[in-house]
Amino acid sequence: MEPNLTERSGEGCYVALTHGHLHAQDIIDRVRSPQAGAIVLFAGTTRDNFAGKPVKELQYSAYSPMALKTMLSICIDIRARHSLESIAMIHRLGTVPIGEESILIAVSAPHRQAAWRAGEEALEDCKKHVEVWKREEFEGEEGVWRANRDGLLGQKIAEKDGKN
Amino acid sequence: MGAIPKPPQGQFNVLYFASANSFTSKEYDTLPAPLPISQLFDALEEKHSGIKDKILSSCLVTVNLNYVNVPNDDGEDASDSSVVIQAGDEVAIIPPVSSG
Repeated sequence: MEPNLTERSGEGCYVALTHGHLHAQDIIDRVRSPQAGAIVLFAGTTRDNFAGKPVKELQYSAYSPMALKTMLSICIDIRARHSLESIAMIHRLGTVPIGEESILIAVSAPHRQAAWRAGEEALEDCKKHVEVWKREEFEGEEGVWRANRDGLLGQKIAEKDGKN
Repeated sequence: MGAIPKPPQGQFNVLYFASANSFTSKEYDTLPAPLPISQLFDALEEKHSGIKDKILSSCLVTVNLNYVNVPNDDGEDASDSSVVIQAGDEVAIIPPVSSG
């Protein structure tokens, strides 16, 4: 059993949060289908710098029930809009050393074009909305909570883009 | 975040994540209910001086896993938002997210 794995699924969608390592083959197998001619996998890995400043490691925390709810609603929406066979999204929490996967998204579709597009949209929606936070730990100074819309920090998002 | 205990009778929990968690050095606070949503940020400012400007101004708020509108100070009519936080509700302060 994976450490602290929480998951939800339904309608050809699977979402999960885990404190364990992520496994690309597992998520690919989860969306595999005889009706699919393409599986696209995205693996987000932790980078060793922020704007040139060396990052030691990353810490991810989540509002888990909310994050799972948002991930599932993103997946259901994207699966319907791109007529996917299946979509799966898993995010790692806790300390993630540099160079390791922090998120995996896999989508399967009858044809590759839809799979490419859906994979990219799923990641963008996830980064915009999913209630997970990244803290970058630097060598010899205090860590920083990153915001994906950095540069806009302090501005309230007026529209929640139909998020419930 | 560890398991948050259920609030005592007549109260509700406010959960803090990321920058809100760092600012308060707490995972949650417990406040008396009922409380109109328009008074939430002032109630938190009383407990954590400076939190409104430094943290809450860039945050969203959920009640029982649904996003709610929090009227701001700048003349927006507080009656816009009819949400009143009830005893036992789970309120959360949601800073700008950074998954991926």
